[in-house]
Amino acid sequence: MDMRMTKNRWLLAAGLVAFALLPWGLGVYHQHIMIVSLFYVMMAASWNLLAGYTGQVSFGHAAFAGIGAYASGILAAKAGVNPWVGVAAGTLLAAIFGFLVGILCLKLGGIYLSLTTLGFSEILHIIINNEYEITRGTMGLQVPGLLSEYSKLAYFYIFLAGALLTLGVVYRLIHSDLGLNFRAVQNDERAAASLGVDVVKVRVLAFTVSSALAGMAGALYGHYLLLITPQIPSLDQQFLVLSMTVIGGMGSFVGPVIGAFGLEILSEYIRAYGEYHVLAFGLVALAVARFAPRGMVGIFRSVWERRRQAAVHPSLPAESP
Amino acid sequence: MDVALLQGRGLSKRFGGVQALEEVDFEVQAGTIVGLIGPNGAGKTTLFNIVAGTFPPSSGVVLFGGRTITGMPAFRICRQGIARTFQVTRPFGEMTCLENVAVAAVNRHPGCPKEQWMTLARESLAAVGLEALKDTAAKHLNVVQKKRLEIARSLATEPTLLMLDEVLGGLNTQEIQEAIGFIRRLRDDRGLTVFWIEHVMGAIMQATEKVIVLDQGRVLTVGPPREVVADERVIHAYLGD
Ligand SMILES: Nc1ncnc2c1ncn2[C@@H]1O[C@H](COP(=O)(O)OP(=O)(O)OP(=O)(O)O)[C@@H](O)[C@H]1O
Ligand SMILES: [Mg+2]
Repeated sequence: MDMRMTKNRWLLAAGLVAFALLPWGLGVYHQHIMIVSLFYVMMAASWNLLAGYTGQVSFGHAAFAGIGAYASGILAAKAGVNPWVGVAAGTLLAAIFGFLVGILCLKLGGIYLSLTTLGFSEILHIIINNEYEITRGTMGLQVPGLLSEYSKLAYFYIFLAGALLTLGVVYRLIHSDLGLNFRAVQNDERAAASLGVDVVKVRVLAFTVSSALAGMAGALYGHYLLLITPQIPSLDQQFLVLSMTVIGGMGSFVGPVIGAFGLEILSEYIRAYGEYHVLAFGLVALAVARFAPRGMVGIFRSVWERRRQAAVHPSLPAESP
Repeated sequence: MDVALLQGRGLSKRFGGVQALEEVDFEVQAGTIVGLIGPNGAGKTTLFNIVAGTFPPSSGVVLFGGRTITGMPAFRICRQGIARTFQVTRPFGEMTCLENVAVAAVNRHPGCPKEQWMTLARESLAAVGLEALKDTAAKHLNVVQKKRLEIARSLATEPTLLMLDEVLGGLNTQEIQEAIGFIRRLRDDRGLTVFWIEHVMGAIMQATEKVIVLDQGRVLTVGPPREVVADERVIHAYLGD
């Protein structure tokens, strides 16, 4: 058991090093895909914390990324603030908004929470479009980069650090006492409360942390693209993140990572056939939610379980569950 | 000693057109096992829900240890030392049995080292004889096991007052005897006070010191179990006119 643990840890470390070295052998275009994938890892993993672990299916996650991006971008472009300070400010602002929306959504569950967060996201859109002087609307706001010299390779490492930080925060939370409370609230709120779980605190905390992480992701992304448009807090983006999480495996730690890379890479290939890929992903996500609610991770797991059982009981046919 | 650990004063609860409780007064003395009986729909579970903070009463007060807890949120009432089981069990289906109990234990000892609350969780699960199923997802349990899990979770909150809502359903005669022994030991060995809704009259007769009878939202009578079951009005309430 312990041996296997250390072996797994070494494998993980080796895989991570290999991944970190990968962009050196790639061209600019593929480096770009990896950076965008890492952005989606941050988005999907933090949305998963909220939706997958506390059952609050928010449609406002892209909006929180937008808050981070615009806050940081505006501070840097209009007030000359250092972009890194801007990222911190954007993260903080997203956390504050997450806290407030979390409280607003407290009494709401299921579809009502989804609708409220959808409304929040639409309001943000209207503000961005109307405050043209500040946000430049759909034209987009030009913002400075994070580094004095633009380098895809450097951005890759910044985004890798951001993704690892996000995953680290999520991992720590779900493996702490709080993780137990998260899952209890998701399974049965009333039973959780009867056992001493402060449901209000748990739900608002998940909302705040998840929004802060989305804000950080959005802020970093804005300073990478150098142009912030309403595409960042768009519903397209929201449904892409949702599809990544659901298809990868909602409520599992690695699911969003698999989903983010898988769908981002895939969308680069099918983009050639038109801009309908988000719609297609959405439909696949619906099917997955219906027929394989644990996503790819769940499918891998059950196949692996079967093979292991077949190895233990060779007489059993491999197909039997 | 006649210390009322739990008291209700003039408790009423209305659901739309249904008067589930009307001006109910009751007392549960510390260290006793008190039965709560009455025909279906009498308001027993509603009374538990009010005490446990699932919803507030329409009027009236609940006192625990002499202090009012009326309208407090459920998690705070739990932390005051009141635990309850649900008549229709509410397991965390996707979590293992041990995790189910650990939720209760960790909120009893927030910020304490994991070994401490995991020990409490394991002990509580073992107390109801479910340790062999500790890694099984709760949704795979049968009804009787789910009721045991309810009790294990309640015990892991380390309550002073344990409220049981029909935990004997589905048990055979011998299992009922074992369950009665178990509940009595909770009181005798751990000093728990037990407030117990049960339809199995034999269990109420054997285990309780006092029985409160509810009928149509009102207290019909209160007294020692032998007197209560012999009471004309009680027989009438159960058998109908
Ligand atoms: N949440 C609720 N909303 C509306 N009506 C309710 C609610 N809870 C209980 N009632 C109604 O209040 C009355 C008392 O119900 P309660 O569940 O307290 O009865 P009970 O004594 O526990 O019955 P049983 O022995 O069948 O469990 C019933 O008429 C019931 O339909
Ligand atoms: Mg009942």
